[in-house]
Amino acid sequence: MSRESDDLFDCIVMADDRFHVEGYREGFNEGTRQGMIDGRKHGASHGAKLSMEVSFYYGFGITWKCLLQNNVDAKARKRLKALESLLGLIQKFPHKDPQFENLQEDMEKVRAKFRQVCSLLNVPTDFSDYVKSGGSGGMSF
Amino acid sequence: MSWVKSVQYSGEDVFDEDADDINLQDKEWKYNMKKRVKDGYVDGIDHGKEASLQLGFNMGYREGAEKTIAVGRLKGVISAIQCWCQFQRPDNPIPASVADLLQRVVKHEDYIMEAMRMGLENPMPSVSDVSETMEDLAVGEGEMSCGGAGCSKGSGCCKKSSNVELGSFFFTVPGESLEQLLQCCMDIVSELGLPLELIQHLEQLKSATE
Repeated sequence: MSRESDDLFDCIVMADDRFHVEGYREGFNEGTRQGMIDGRKHGASHGAKLSMEVSFYYGFGITWKCLLQNNVDAKARKRLKALESLLGLIQKFPHKDPQFENLQEDMEKVRAKFRQVCSLLNVPTDFSDYVKSGGSGGMSF
Repeated sequence: MSWVKSVQYSGEDVFDEDADDINLQDKEWKYNMKKRVKDGYVDGIDHGKEASLQLGFNMGYREGAEKTIAVGRLKGVISAIQCWCQFQRPDNPIPASVADLLQRVVKHEDYIMEAMRMGLENPMPSVSDVSETMEDLAVGEGEMSCGGAGCSKGSGCCKKSSNVELGSFFFTVPGESLEQLLQCCMDIVSELGLPLELIQHLEQLKSATE
């Protein structure tokens, strides 16, 4: 008799666990799916924006480098040096890696360098904002 | 359900004497077990999300970053050309073709962001891949308390499945193609007599997007 009730007791305890695990598994799968989708959506938006910005600086820098490269005066040389430095900074910057530790710091460095380049080129400091606001329809010259 | 069997197993006619009582216990048992399943489900959802959010973020980040390089560069190129025109010919207005292309590129950028957002809203192609990932994640359920005590930032726990490949999502960007915009930019570079290196750079971008 005591063996039987032990068995029954075990059954109950195990069933208790088993049902919890059963629900857990199902929930875990659903949670994983949701987390994956939500995470991916947020990640894509962040990655796209940051990459767009860095790439913009790169395209801007490389174009100016092409435009100025044949000038030999001191002013142009100074500008070219800053441009080289901007391009170098961007090339070294693994901006596509979300797990890169200094992502934010390095992004700030790139932005600072871009601002420096703009000031050397006498491009208005709000230039990149103007370019960005073009996207939301607030185009103003 | 399997618990019914377990009760019947040791039940037999002993319990038949008191059928009402059994029914009541039966209901209570059912209720409790349902609750256990539900509790487990809720715990599971939380842990599943914890375990996969970062993974999903990292994956999406790389995908998103990859898809905006070319358009970002093109915008940079055309913006620089616009500035250049302002400096070179301060008394003339910026060529309409340049200003127009810049606007089209900015529009294209918006389209990409929007199409990507929509594409990820319903990531149908990757559902089966996701379920594979779920199995991978579920294997180590015992240590699945990611984000908990065992999982400091950068420890192996979350990284375990970081090389799981999910199907890449596909989306179509409406309007002009990037190739068309790049071609248009090359035409402008030629028209304005700007350095050939610029064309080369644009050619590179074009071949990278094909």
